[in-house]
Amino acid sequence: MTDSIINEPALRSRWPRVLGARLANLPISYLGTVALLLGAGLARPNLLQPFLLLLILRQAAPLGIAVIGQSLCIRMLSLDLSFGGIALVVSYILTSGLLRLPESELIALCLLFGVVVGAVNAFFITRLRASSVIVTLAMVLILGGIVTALSQYRAPGSAPPMLRYIGQARIGIFPVSVMVWIAALVPMAWFLRRSVFGRFVDAIGANPRAAWASGIPYIRTIYVGHILSSLFAVLSAFLIVGFVGFGSLSTGADLALNSLAAVILGGVTFGSGKGGVIGPAVAAFMLMFSFNLLTSFGLGEPGKEMAQGAIIALAAIAYAARGAAPAA
Amino acid sequence: MTRHKKRLFGRSGLGVIAIGLPAAMFLLLSLGTPDFFSARNIANVNSQITALLIVALGQLIVALIGGIDISVGSVISLTSVVLASLSASVAVPVALILAALVGLGNGLGVAVFGVHPLIMTLASMIFVQGFALLIMSAAGGTVPPLLIALAKTNIAGLPAGFFWCVSALAIVAVLLHKTAFGLRLFAIGANAQSAALSGVGVRAPRLACYMLCSLAGAIAGVYLTGRIASGDPTMGEPFGLNSVTAIALGGVQLSGGVGSVIGVVLGTITLGLISNGMNLVGVSPFFSAALTGLLLLGAVSLQRRKAIGI
Repeated sequence: MTDSIINEPALRSRWPRVLGARLANLPISYLGTVALLLGAGLARPNLLQPFLLLLILRQAAPLGIAVIGQSLCIRMLSLDLSFGGIALVVSYILTSGLLRLPESELIALCLLFGVVVGAVNAFFITRLRASSVIVTLAMVLILGGIVTALSQYRAPGSAPPMLRYIGQARIGIFPVSVMVWIAALVPMAWFLRRSVFGRFVDAIGANPRAAWASGIPYIRTIYVGHILSSLFAVLSAFLIVGFVGFGSLSTGADLALNSLAAVILGGVTFGSGKGGVIGPAVAAFMLMFSFNLLTSFGLGEPGKEMAQGAIIALAAIAYAARGAAPAA
Repeated sequence: MTRHKKRLFGRSGLGVIAIGLPAAMFLLLSLGTPDFFSARNIANVNSQITALLIVALGQLIVALIGGIDISVGSVISLTSVVLASLSASVAVPVALILAALVGLGNGLGVAVFGVHPLIMTLASMIFVQGFALLIMSAAGGTVPPLLIALAKTNIAGLPAGFFWCVSALAIVAVLLHKTAFGLRLFAIGANAQSAALSGVGVRAPRLACYMLCSLAGAIAGVYLTGRIASGDPTMGEPFGLNSVTAIALGGVQLSGGVGSVIGVVLGTITLGLISNGMNLVGVSPFFSAALTGLLLLGAVSLQRRKAIGI
């Protein structure tokens, strides 16, 4: 019955437009990665060797893991800029020798620390209704200030062997850290797509007031989101410390900003209630690949920063131009 | 009359914390540290907070319309390297034009394209910081002697910073409270939709706010560069966040529509006294960063908003 109603030739003539619209709605990271790979293929074919691509993937793993938490927060109309502070504390706990505990207990302590920071962030954001930007930035000031001051008395040392293994080892040609990334990414993608929690996240992101009025456990969802976000930041710091092999006061310094850039490139936007987990993950790879490509062109740190800023601005403008109302 | 007073008080954002905190700090430091009241230390505090006050005034203008600008720190750095690397005759105009362009970019992104101000200014912060490092990779260069004199010369026994502060305060106070533009900002910040429906143009004032904030950053950069007598590509780094902290401590609502010049002065003095007090007591300056963070948390927690989120 319905078949007869559909005008088939008209449908057929519409499909290029539908396909075009679908492509235009894809996260910028997909098209950007393809464009970068093609560009590299023409200008720097060496970068496309599987071995190098895996190396870049390994570089992207810590960022990719942090991005999972950041995208979760942004989907709930919140933001977590405290990654740098968390990474710094985790690096200090693991490498300073301040706490003479076995490796497994240090790792457990770091995870507990992540839960506490996430809960404190969420407490200020939900109960005291403070801006998530300010709360998480203040957290960076507090954590960073304490660790930097403590480092004057006891400098960070080398990383625990288990984390060094995870950060540096490979199974075959495949880096273990990339496996950790996939092991965090896939269940999280499935969980957000299938679970009731995932629906809550999307509902809150789409319209917080409507979500609140519908009886969705708004505050509990934001608590869980921020705690998960901090835990992903801790996991990310494990990989960074393991990869570098020792602690430093610059551990994870650009994690928050890069994760924000990756989330925007990955198609998760404030207040849309939309966004997946894969888009931002691809964006994490895209960012790392672009940094490597820029380095291969001889562009130093300043050039990279300029490119990074321009990428974030253009991606944000492109998404906003797709139909969001002007913000403040 | 009482109602009128109450309304005025409400729009200024001044409250117990904004007024009480600097007063308590002042009392604590004057009792606890003998050097606090020395003319040299007071002049020191004044010089330390001058740049922050100028930037915070710019931040206030943006916060009044419910925006935020974290790129001002990079604008300070850019100004510094431009002043230290160009000839004296063109350095200041070029620095101001560049700052205005950064503000224009921010304003276009936010007001025309609808990008969240935090994201837009974050992007420009990274871009401009990169640009500053591209011009000058490390501290150095020569600063025009006139600028050094403007930032360092004492007039009638008062440090130059004092005059910079008073001029900046006067300009912003007149702009906000004596002009139609200022009134529009309060209207837009309180409710942009209502303001637009009442015939208040929303886009142009927003653009202007971001440009003014960047210009405030440039002026702070001119002062700082003159004072240090050298260019520094990372000079402005702490100012983006510190200026937000200063206005939040001064009772300025980051959601817009509420704030005052006096509040900004009080917030800036609070921050200045914290670092000065820490110095006098001999505590690591890194702990003062942590304390600033704690104060920021406290200040924003007391500004309970309607909405949860960013």
